Amino acid sequence: MPKCWLTLPFFLLAALTVASGQKVENTAIVRTVELGGSVVHVTTTYAIRSLEDELKSYTIALARGDKSKTSWLEATIKGQKTSLAIKERAVHGDNEYQLFDVALPKALSVNKTLSIVFDTIQTHATEAWPAIAGQNDEQALRYMTDVFVLSPYPTTVQRTKIKSQTPRVISFTEPKNIESFAASASAVSKSGATVVYGPFNNLPPSTTDEFIEKYQQPVNVHYYHDQPVLEILKLKRSVEISHWGANLNTQDEIVLYNAGPRLKGHFSRLDHQTQQFYKRPAPHILPALTLHLPSGIRNAYYYDTIGNVSTSKLRTAPSVPKNRQGTQFSVLEFKPRYPLLGGWNYSFTLGWDAPLEDSTSYDKDTGRFIVEVPIMTPILGAVVDDEELTVVLPEGATDVQFAVPFPASSTLQETHKTYLDTTGRPALTFKYKDLTVKQAESIFVSYKVSWSAHLKKPVAVGTASLGLFILGMISRRVNLTLHQKSKMS
Amino acid sequence: MSTAYPIPSDISPATVKNTASLLRIVALSLISGAAIASRLFAVINFESVIHEFDPWFNYRATRVLASKGFYEFWNWFDPTAWYPLGRVVGGTVYPGLMVTSGIIYNFLHALNLPVDIRNVCVMLAPGFSALTAWATYMFTKEMKDESAGLLAAAFIGIVPGYISRSVAGSYDNEAIAIFLLMFTFYCWIKALKQGSALFGTFAAVFYFYMVAAWGGYAFITNMIPLHALALLLMGRFSSRLYVAYTSWYAIGTLASMQVPFVGFQPVSTSEHMGALGVFGLLQIVAFAQLVRTHVSSQQFQRLLYGVVVAIGILGAFAFVFLTYKGKIAPWTGRFYSLWDTGYAKKYIPIIASVSEHQPTAWPSFFMDLQFLVFTFPAGVVLCFRELRDEHIFVILYSVVASYFAGVMVRLMLTLTPVVCVASAVALSTLLDTFIDPTEPPAEEDADDGVSANGSSSTAPPSQSASKKAKKAAASAPTKTALGDFVAATSSKGGSPRPKGIFGLDSRLVVVFNTLSMLVFFVFHCTWVTSNAYSSPSVVLASQNPDGSQHIIDDFREAYYWLRQNTPEDSVVMSWWDYGYQIAGMADRPTLVDNNTWNNTHIATVGKAMSSSEEVAYPILRKHDVDYVLVIFGGLIGYSGDDINKFLWMVRIAQGVWPDEIQEPNYFTPQGEYRIDDRASKTMKESLMYKMSYYRFNELFGGNPGVDRVRQQQVPKEGPTLDYLDEAFTSENWIVRIFQVKKEDPLGRDLKSANQFAQGKKRKRSKPAPRRRAIV
Repeated sequence: MPKCWLTLPFFLLAALTVASGQKVENTAIVRTVELGGSVVHVTTTYAIRSLEDELKSYTIALARGDKSKTSWLEATIKGQKTSLAIKERAVHGDNEYQLFDVALPKALSVNKTLSIVFDTIQTHATEAWPAIAGQNDEQALRYMTDVFVLSPYPTTVQRTKIKSQTPRVISFTEPKNIESFAASASAVSKSGATVVYGPFNNLPPSTTDEFIEKYQQPVNVHYYHDQPVLEILKLKRSVEISHWGANLNTQDEIVLYNAGPRLKGHFSRLDHQTQQFYKRPAPHILPALTLHLPSGIRNAYYYDTIGNVSTSKLRTAPSVPKNRQGTQFSVLEFKPRYPLLGGWNYSFTLGWDAPLEDSTSYDKDTGRFIVEVPIMTPILGAVVDDEELTVVLPEGATDVQFAVPFPASSTLQETHKTYLDTTGRPALTFKYKDLTVKQAESIFVSYKVSWSAHLKKPVAVGTASLGLFILGMISRRVNLTLHQKSKMS
Repeated sequence: MSTAYPIPSDISPATVKNTASLLRIVALSLISGAAIASRLFAVINFESVIHEFDPWFNYRATRVLASKGFYEFWNWFDPTAWYPLGRVVGGTVYPGLMVTSGIIYNFLHALNLPVDIRNVCVMLAPGFSALTAWATYMFTKEMKDESAGLLAAAFIGIVPGYISRSVAGSYDNEAIAIFLLMFTFYCWIKALKQGSALFGTFAAVFYFYMVAAWGGYAFITNMIPLHALALLLMGRFSSRLYVAYTSWYAIGTLASMQVPFVGFQPVSTSEHMGALGVFGLLQIVAFAQLVRTHVSSQQFQRLLYGVVVAIGILGAFAFVFLTYKGKIAPWTGRFYSLWDTGYAKKYIPIIASVSEHQPTAWPSFFMDLQFLVFTFPAGVVLCFRELRDEHIFVILYSVVASYFAGVMVRLMLTLTPVVCVASAVALSTLLDTFIDPTEPPAEEDADDGVSANGSSSTAPPSQSASKKAKKAAASAPTKTALGDFVAATSSKGGSPRPKGIFGLDSRLVVVFNTLSMLVFFVFHCTWVTSNAYSSPSVVLASQNPDGSQHIIDDFREAYYWLRQNTPEDSVVMSWWDYGYQIAGMADRPTLVDNNTWNNTHIATVGKAMSSSEEVAYPILRKHDVDYVLVIFGGLIGYSGDDINKFLWMVRIAQGVWPDEIQEPNYFTPQGEYRIDDRASKTMKESLMYKMSYYRFNELFGGNPGVDRVRQQQVPKEGPTLDYLDEAFTSENWIVRIFQVKKEDPLGRDLKSANQFAQGKKRKRSKPAPRRRAIV
């Protein structure tokens, strides 16, 4: 069971206890935005000081724009790894912000301080600007956010750092009407690859319409980006477990899209080959993709609608024994049939077999099999817009349970018939949205299979072939001739 | 009786019979296995992919059938083919192939075997080749015996002439048609032998299947009547013939008319009239037989004479009259081209432009049949020795098929089965003779025996096998009919002299020779199959410097780019060769494709390709063409490219627009076909030339660019394009795709718009026409 479910009743209580009076003060808020292509990593650190005893929860606010982009969030105490339970509050009307209640691990007494790190990942947060670019042009992206981090509590000092991967930032917005908070006239500075907004001092509680209307304003950062902006529009993963073959087959159907600036004019092979010859690849062109598949895989295949993708190569690594931590991967150098330019699509299917014992274990006490199914193969810097993960269990599996690392947008159990099945296999389908590398975790599925269920297939096939032979025997021995001829020779 | 080598005598006949039967089953399954396995080179060397051109259409149609069901397929109107005309696919296709794979697909899925439809299609031809081997076995068994049948099955299983059309992935009508051909013939022979209406009906049912599967069914439609007619003329009319033929014709014709593409052709076209005529003739003859039993022989003679003359004249007049009135369609161009190999070149360039419609070159006979070429006539001669009804069939079949195979390369396919059958008969007779352990009784004059022995043992193996067979037959024990025949002919001269083979050495020499011929045949077949016939042609193979295989995958690269990155309704123009591939792999509408039914439409494309940009542009715009696709092999030396096919485009266009396109304009004054500086102006200005060499010389970085197919230097100044834009070029430049520009928004013509954009001043050689208008 995921943790958040257990703590749900506690949250309701916590939410009730938070009254409108100021119980907390933010001594410092630092927001760090690490710009990327389709994935932007935002870390906000709240240094808080409690103004009352027994502070059990802390409320974080996200502006509406940021909320819609955020696909993953996590709150931790600085320096610790365990994440804190987060509860999303209901939105009232057209609020410009969304509140989250973070449950503190232990109640905070007066004047005690604590640093809460609020990690979010934003997807589809950048846009190509200009939206079209020629084949030899650079790729420039634009990121937009609000200048102030909202908080229902007063804040002593606040900063926003926006870091680009290269120091080549083209432009950034100068915020206006901030004299009341900023110490210097210019509240923004750039050093190297980092643009810093702030520091802003002595902000009142900012989750008020008044504050937002008066001071909150969007800021843009326009920067060059050296990697192609990748989006996986659709990922359909199906995982099939076979006890007879001791095999776990994984198949991904992937629709890849280059979300960078759309190609201006047309693709010229000559220019592309010139770029390759002089080793000056354009940043928005994806010539190949390196994928890290699990170790120990065999019979890998990669094809698209019209056949094998003959341009690709796979180097497999042997399986890592179970009790050892291994970081070996099979590396697939996947090269689409054509280089993927801005705005181009490429869809393909990738699949492999893996030994079942690498990801399954048998619990002798309960008689259950437990299978670990990774939600996705991580592709660095790419976002998966829609995923449908189907786990097909062996025929006759009963008592199916599963545990997900984070809740899916929908879960479905149905029956799937394949390879000589008689009754069909239970299949679990999970649907996800906006996944990033951070969410490349595993689902655990456990089930029971009886001996008789294992024997179902050989019995069915045996019966069918026996029937055929008997039919053949009968037909050889039955004489259907209408009138018997006398023997000719 | 003395034997050359000891044979066990204490085995019961039942054991021999059962063992032989078991061995036959094992041999047949091994032959099937070999037939399937040798066709898998294409899958192992490349992948499970549909080959070439036509198979892509069949595959696409099969996918429609498998996903949408039979009725949807039957009523399928494909608006994307022959844009903007569209194609009624259900009514213009032989559905047998697609239905077969659809049934297999549905059957496997009913068993919960999730097989991809592509794999069903790829493996269909090898699977059916195993069935062909079995059908050939059954057919040859009727000719001679089981051992000849097994040999024939082995031959047809691996002979390159058949493999060329049935490797895995070659998903074409021929893949199943040869099985149907052989099985229909088997049923016909069986029906004829037994006078069985049941087998006649079987023949009709398989004939129907054949009609539904391949346009070559006309071969059966004419072969069986020809056989019947020959039997009739030889005075071999019997009630068996009558029953077999009428049951086949009546049921077969009615059934064949159910195929929409065939429709009323069986009663209205010249190709089918022979069958109808023989059917009528058989009725008359049967009636005459009936009359004969009731009247005296003299009266009958007179009656017969009068009636035959009258009916003959009447029938001929009726035929001419109906042809004249147009009730019976006259012979088609394709038919004429069978008799005059130069006909197509003169009148129907589309047919002539297909390489498989060319006359066969003699090396390809050896390549496709190897030593069977030599044993084939021997087998045919052996058929003459016994000359039962079915032997006449083989003789007729071999004569007709030999002629057609000489006229058209693709008809090699129909010759191959009979070559296998006849060769198997010859070889099996040879082996029978020399393996047979019985020795002739020792004679008084030993000289004769020795000389016979000597001549046969020293005879080189390449000597005509029939000669040996003659000797063999003479020596064979009297149980074979052949022996009887020879004995009877030779006994005319005097008392029969026992002939035969003495000793083991002479036997071994011949048997060893024959076996080594068979072994070499296997090597040859394997080599030809793996080297010549297993290339999918959508995927090309070359070698890396280290000897590993390098795949050149430009076609699929470009087609897949079209599929994924262009609007779904964008029309692609290319030469018709690539129409099916574009429809199948890129899933985009095409102007023309490999179903070359509309000559004018193809000529339009030819005209667009061979005229200058200014002339071609209105044609392209009128046909809503968005992309133009050309194949260019100049960079890596792929010789099957569009520049090499260009003259056919010119010729076909010239056939429709003789005033605008003239072939001589595309040659240099010396009459050479060149693409370099000396190329003619028309050539250099043609759209095809411009698209092929657009920016090609820039690739060489200042050095003179060389076209590796033509081995010529391209001009320093590369062609420029005003009305088209380069949209995509594949990795090795094999496929180049150009986008047709839309009209200039300011109403200028695109050429001057382009010049304006490049900052060039417009040349005003003449005063502006506006000024003159004022004056």
